[in-house]
Amino acid sequence: MQATANISESSVPGLSREPAIKITASRAALIPQLGDVWAHRELLYFLIWRDLKVRYRQTFLGVAWVVLQPLLMTLVFTVFFSKLGHFRSEGVPYPLFAYAGLVPWTFFANSVSTGSSSLLSNSYIITKVYFPRLLIPAAIVGVRLIDFLIASAVLIVLMMFYGIAISRSMLMLPVLVAEITLLAVAVGSWFSVLNIKYRDVGTVLPVLIQLWMFASPIIYPSNIIPQQWRFVYSLNPLVGIMEGFRSSFFGLPFEWNAMLVSSITTLLLLGYVLYVFYRWQERLIDKL
Amino acid sequence: MLPIIQVKNISKQYHVGGSSTVAPTLREALLAAFKFPFNGRNGKQANAPDLFWAVKDMSFEVNPGEIVGIIGRNGAGKSTLLKIISRITKPTTGEVNIYGRVGSLLEIGTGFHPDLSGRENIFLNGAIIGMRREEMRRKFDDIVAFAEVERFLDTPVKYYSSGMYMRLAFAVAAHFEPEVLILDEVLAVGDAVFQKKCLEKMKEVGREGRTIFFVSHDLSSVQRFCTRALLIESGQLLQDGAVGEVTDRYLQLISEKYEVAG
Repeated sequence: MQATANISESSVPGLSREPAIKITASRAALIPQLGDVWAHRELLYFLIWRDLKVRYRQTFLGVAWVVLQPLLMTLVFTVFFSKLGHFRSEGVPYPLFAYAGLVPWTFFANSVSTGSSSLLSNSYIITKVYFPRLLIPAAIVGVRLIDFLIASAVLIVLMMFYGIAISRSMLMLPVLVAEITLLAVAVGSWFSVLNIKYRDVGTVLPVLIQLWMFASPIIYPSNIIPQQWRFVYSLNPLVGIMEGFRSSFFGLPFEWNAMLVSSITTLLLLGYVLYVFYRWQERLIDKL
Repeated sequence: MLPIIQVKNISKQYHVGGSSTVAPTLREALLAAFKFPFNGRNGKQANAPDLFWAVKDMSFEVNPGEIVGIIGRNGAGKSTLLKIISRITKPTTGEVNIYGRVGSLLEIGTGFHPDLSGRENIFLNGAIIGMRREEMRRKFDDIVAFAEVERFLDTPVKYYSSGMYMRLAFAVAAHFEPEVLILDEVLAVGDAVFQKKCLEKMKEVGREGRTIFFVSHDLSSVQRFCTRALLIESGQLLQDGAVGEVTDRYLQLISEKYEVAG
């Protein structure tokens, strides 16, 4: 904060006060930037609040869609993969199995796809006021996180309906939620800057997301993957995370190896993306 | 007295037109996505015509309590200067040191969302420009009274008249009290009554000893409020001094250009 030295700089050589804000042409260091994000946390709250309010004012279905989206997908996959394709589902009724995978998946997928256009669609604010730009994709993830919590509550209700007991494994849920949230922030932010730099990213992204969905054990259990491919397969951070969610909800044994790999990959990806984001968002603002 | 803003040799370079880094193919986009943080300075070919200096080597200092007017022709670089000081865009060279809390109003009503009510937009806009939640709650009633929109507070602002909209936006801005206030021609919009209100408020802010740094085309208001002015032309700081002298120089500059063109 502002120093209160009353002596002039020239009279005492070597003694100078610290500026509250220092703007230079060189790249800012990461830690102070993250500190800036924390200092602006109230704005993050308001950006999330804004999106929630606007959504519920503009849409007809409102809250209902948050639950309907994974439910409808569950229905489709149940019919095609369970009834017709006879996928196994670890002893849990297939609709429940699929829904438990689709709820965190829709959180992640929606965060990434909306997040990817977030900087562009908020350019009218970014070019007029300063605040840490990371707040924008982070706010998108925040909104989706609330949706996720609502859809999870419905999952608990469904579990009771199917007679699946709630077990101690659910204590792992906060850890898994934190992990998938960090992953969503990382990937969403990454695509948000990529989208400014390469405008065709917006058209490619839905395909990538779809591929990612099939490359993750969302509607199928990961034990259908042949043993020799298992390790490569689990380099996808969503593998450990999704299995973790299912184990957590249904009291199944945890796959600690896959989960460990997920955590490491997620943290590495987050570190990489933060570096990229802070390096490029300064230059990219000029292109908005 | 120690300066509250120090601007040292700042410059801002823009790339004009199609000097684009948009990847033409998907393959290049994907490769670039993984490579781009490791690319050094984007080896620019000597595309000299592509590069444009919006601000060239500007230096000056502002002392606490000064009210400084920035004047210059359109496209001279005034807004770019404000954007740099407001941290919206990074300077290409140089540095700026600011010894206090800065608030920038490059436009009023930033972030207003048409579907939200007046009440909701007060909080949203306030948060975006940098007011704390507690501060907004405390000033809420004053803001509403200043804007004269009590009856319509819970109506979505898309239904507001342009006058109401601006009064509301300005009311929030007027209650923002940073140590250093940066304004960009916000007074240019609005009817005479609105403008008068704005100027009154600025006078009040000036009397409180805050530092104000503002861009305006209205020479009479610059002369009325400022003790000091900066004249910007083609990205350079042409003159920095007493208001009277600088405005005279500006008028001289304009008439020179007129003669040459005419």
